[in-house]
Amino acid sequence: MKRRAILAFMLDRPGVLQKVSMLIRKKMYNVDTLTVCNSRKEGISRMTITLREDDEEKVQQILSQLEKFTEVVSVKELDTDHSYWREAAIIKVEADDEHLESFRKDYTFEILDHKSDEIHIIQIAGSTRRIDAFVKALGEEHIIEIARTGVTALEK
Amino acid sequence: MTGKELLLRALADRGVQTIFGYTGGAIMPVFDQMDKLGHFRFIMSRHEQGAAFMAQGLSRASLSTANPQVGVCMATSGPGAMNLVTGIADAYMDSVPMVAITGQVATGVIATDAFQESDVVGVMMPISKQTYMPLFVDEIEQTVHEAFYVATTGRGGPVVLDIPKDVQNVQVDKDYHFDTAAFRPALPGFYYHPTPAREPLQKAVELINRSERPVIFCGHGVINSNAGQLLQQFAEKVNIPVAFTLHGLSALPLDHPLSLGMMGMHGTVEANRAIMEADLLISFGMRFDDRVTGKLSEYAQNADVIHVEIDPSEIGKNVQPTVAINADVYRTLHVLVSDPMLAGKPRRRWRQRIAEAREVMAADLRREIDKGVGDDGALLMKTIIDRLSKLTGGRDLIVSDVGQHQMMAARFYNYQTPNSWFASGGAGTMGCSLPMAIGVKLARPDERVWSINGDGGFQMNMQELGTIMEQGTDLKIMILNNGYLGMVRQWQTLFFDGRYAGTPMQSPDFGQVASAYSIPYRKVTELAEVEPAIQEAIDHQGAIMLEFVCDPSEVILPMIPAGGGFNDMIIKRPKAKKEKS
Ligand SMILES: Cc1ncc(C[n+]2csc(CCOP(=O)(O)OP(=O)(O)O)c2C)c(N)n1
Ligand SMILES: [Mg+2]
Repeated sequence: MKRRAILAFMLDRPGVLQKVSMLIRKKMYNVDTLTVCNSRKEGISRMTITLREDDEEKVQQILSQLEKFTEVVSVKELDTDHSYWREAAIIKVEADDEHLESFRKDYTFEILDHKSDEIHIIQIAGSTRRIDAFVKALGEEHIIEIARTGVTALEK
Repeated sequence: MTGKELLLRALADRGVQTIFGYTGGAIMPVFDQMDKLGHFRFIMSRHEQGAAFMAQGLSRASLSTANPQVGVCMATSGPGAMNLVTGIADAYMDSVPMVAITGQVATGVIATDAFQESDVVGVMMPISKQTYMPLFVDEIEQTVHEAFYVATTGRGGPVVLDIPKDVQNVQVDKDYHFDTAAFRPALPGFYYHPTPAREPLQKAVELINRSERPVIFCGHGVINSNAGQLLQQFAEKVNIPVAFTLHGLSALPLDHPLSLGMMGMHGTVEANRAIMEADLLISFGMRFDDRVTGKLSEYAQNADVIHVEIDPSEIGKNVQPTVAINADVYRTLHVLVSDPMLAGKPRRRWRQRIAEAREVMAADLRREIDKGVGDDGALLMKTIIDRLSKLTGGRDLIVSDVGQHQMMAARFYNYQTPNSWFASGGAGTMGCSLPMAIGVKLARPDERVWSINGDGGFQMNMQELGTIMEQGTDLKIMILNNGYLGMVRQWQTLFFDGRYAGTPMQSPDFGQVASAYSIPYRKVTELAEVEPAIQEAIDHQGAIMLEFVCDPSEVILPMIPAGGGFNDMIIKRPKAKKEKS
């Protein structure tokens, strides 16, 4: 199913997050990712939700129902052609330096910490697919723990 | 001033005169203050659900008067608030503005599972338009004003205020100042479009002028924006028939020559057939819910749709419009009626087609109504409603409960008075009628109000007879007693091979119940007694209860089964299977 990103600006009031997630549950969707941060305007939060749906009308329904919340200032769908969707990941890996360094030419990542010769904490940002590829390349057997932020998006 | 004083001041500023409610630990300070103040008329329900429906009745009935009111109900925390839930969910489904105020446990113990603590905001959030929990005393007044604004702006709905007990008692700072007149809620995202855009209107006019088989839809939005007269003018000008949703009834006289009556599951043959064959639906203030459309894939397949609706999220939700007009119904009709390009057409073939449809069931219905009793001699609900309609000239206010009697009241009362039909539609909540009728009577004291009940639904809120007794409310209470949960029984007859699981119902002696509340009572078993009993209720000053012993096998037809289309419409009662009684 097609992946969708919905960008919403809303008043930073208690319960807003709950309302949004309840609406999405009521419409029987599973949220893929949901990220919230402050916007540049004080008191207004910026939320990016990704979920999967092929039907344009159904997506339109979610948008108009979100728009209806008194706290929601604006909502729109961001499509992949006209926006950047990115996430970040922090990964604790068990691998020697050599193994890690072998990825340098294909991926940009930063080493945050060497726990020991074998254990590193690294950080990488990029599209979901890019991070998936990096994780795959590293090899599941090398990964101790991974934290991903979920998608945030910005219009071109 | 304290929180409770600020709360009551804000309510008074908003024009609240009546408060329905039930006290308890967490709301006592407000009740105490209200009593000291003496400004409000307090009406104590016998169950919080009753208070919620009374508030609804006041909102619904007063919106067409010179003094529109927002119904306010109050309850204590925990169980008190939870007892409001059904009435609030019902108001949300039916777009009824109302403000529910609940006490909450003190801020110091919130989230400790304190005595009578419930997460009211959490429970109410999905069933109300907005919820608030002011945590500081200086937020109370502005919250109340915002709550009223939200409840009444655009599509109406219930708003909940959950106020911790300590916040009710706290003194506000000396330099606290609130300017009611200057207050504007800071809701940058909350806007609505009352005025129709020009372009879609033009397109609508073109479609209307071009159409050969058009139907106008009169929805709840017509009632809510007091646009019944305008709709009538519009329909007459373009000479197009009007079909009503359940909540659109009474916007204009039901026997108007252009009226097709109610549409949908229990709608008339003429309304539903016209819709099926239409080339244009011009719908005002409605949401194409499943009881109206039936199977969407078969619904009005050859019709363009003009959808006038105040709530943009309803446009395109179930039916994709050809022309969407996101605006207030009254304003749209106002512009439309005076559009110089708008033209009437005779559309003779269409009128002929509709005239034929009117005849499909007319004779059968007439015969049944005239006969007045079923095979075993018990009364027919449709006859009772028909007689009530005749004796009152169709001018009284009808507050119905939910079930077969509701559909009978929707179909066979000849509504003449604007905004005179009140019922639970979206939620279909049994038990709503008696308390809602109390609120309706308060809003319209000079009109006669009938609460029409089934034996089942009446027993869901009959404790409100206590409120009627205490308040001396002049209500005409009807119980159409068929000994069954009739509407469910009808489905069992039609779709469950006549197996009556969980629908036969024993009732108390309603005469004794009435007398316990000092309410006069008549039991009617014979056809000849129907009119005299109704006349007696009309002549009697004050509350009176009439019980009619009805035929359980009566069905309300036509009926389009749930999920079916027009072609599945049942117009003849199937040969009765052996019915166990
Ligand atoms: C609170 C609630 N519970 C259950 C239902 C389901 N229901 C719809 S109509 C009906 C039967 C109503 O029976 P009664 O009040 O006797 O009216 P009748 O249909 O017999 O006229 C029932 C059980 C409902 N609508 N509301
Ligand atoms: Mg019954």
